Amino acid sequence: MALKFLVVDDSVTMRRIVANSLKSIGYDNFVEAADGKEALSKLNSDDSINFVITDWNMPEVSGLELVKAIRSNEKTQSLPILMVTTRGLKEDILEALQAKVNNYIVKPFTPQTLREKIEQILASS
Amino acid sequence: MENQLSMEQVFQKLGDLKQFFIFGQKIVPLFKKIIDFMTDIVPLLENVNNSIQDTTSKMPKAAHQINSVTNATEIATSEILDIVDSMSMDMTKIKNELEDMKNGFLNQRVALDKLINEYPSLNGRLEELKSALVIDELESKVVGLENVIQKIENDITNITISLQVQDITAQQLASVNHLIDSVQKRLSSLLFDFNKQDGLQIPHFEEIHEHKKPFNPNAKYDRNHDMQKVADELINGNNKTSQEEIDKLFGK
Repeated sequence: MALKFLVVDDSVTMRRIVANSLKSIGYDNFVEAADGKEALSKLNSDDSINFVITDWNMPEVSGLELVKAIRSNEKTQSLPILMVTTRGLKEDILEALQAKVNNYIVKPFTPQTLREKIEQILASS
Repeated sequence: MENQLSMEQVFQKLGDLKQFFIFGQKIVPLFKKIIDFMTDIVPLLENVNNSIQDTTSKMPKAAHQINSVTNATEIATSEILDIVDSMSMDMTKIKNELEDMKNGFLNQRVALDKLINEYPSLNGRLEELKSALVIDELESKVVGLENVIQKIENDITNITISLQVQDITAQQLASVNHLIDSVQKRLSSLLFDFNKQDGLQIPHFEEIHEHKKPFNPNAKYDRNHDMQKVADELINGNNKTSQEEIDKLFGK
């Protein structure tokens, strides 16, 4: 199955870096959203999105709220979600896991780490 | 007898009076010092008040400048990423060209070997030609160039990793802006109370209207990836987090 990523981050820089990293590891099918609200709208309108990579601290709807919204929607509840954030405290990571993210990356990350986490998620799903 | 008692009382009162004067002699310099201190401190307090007013009025500008820094670094980072993208595309082109050259060398070698086999009489001349073409030497140069390109690609990856610092510093600056906002509100409130009590004109300060970017106050640029190790341990279940700790965290 071809992967189509939804890259969610309010930072233009980070969206580009995640997108470039995806391209460098062989994934070039992705769409972008600047916050959780836009992400939910894209998920609602584009059924081909099958992988979400999201930041945490964002305006409107935060990454954590986005994860909870995805998990509470029957249509999207099984989507793989990878959180990529600056939040690296133990309690943050536990909170994200409690919200049912599939994996977690703390910025700054390498394309290699991104590849490992995507592969881990795909292998376990 | 009665007169003697009255005199004793008078002397006792005089003694008390004497003690009072002795105490007065001691306390008067202290009062003088307090008055001198008050004389000195009032202009100082006026200065502090003016200084706080001045600082408070400058805070919106400071917050604005911090946001300008964030915007400028975001634009600069975007420009660097444009260059990095362009370099990556050029590297891909060069890699493809080098691959074509390697295939060309292989084809030349195969063609020459085939000719050598087909025309043994020309063997010596063909070997000379093969040697003159310096295929092996050119091929090793191509491999050398491929190694250089690999190094450049690794450098490009490292630049991309380093550019993530922009997002991290943007969050740190947003955190500073939040602090400035809080301090301004507190100082404005203090000045309001101070001036109101003294019947002075209540200063009006420009509010900080900068875009409030959500931020992580603990954001830091950690290239040792220590926090990633903690995340991996928690996800892989190797970290000893007790259920009690989790329940406490989520308020169960």
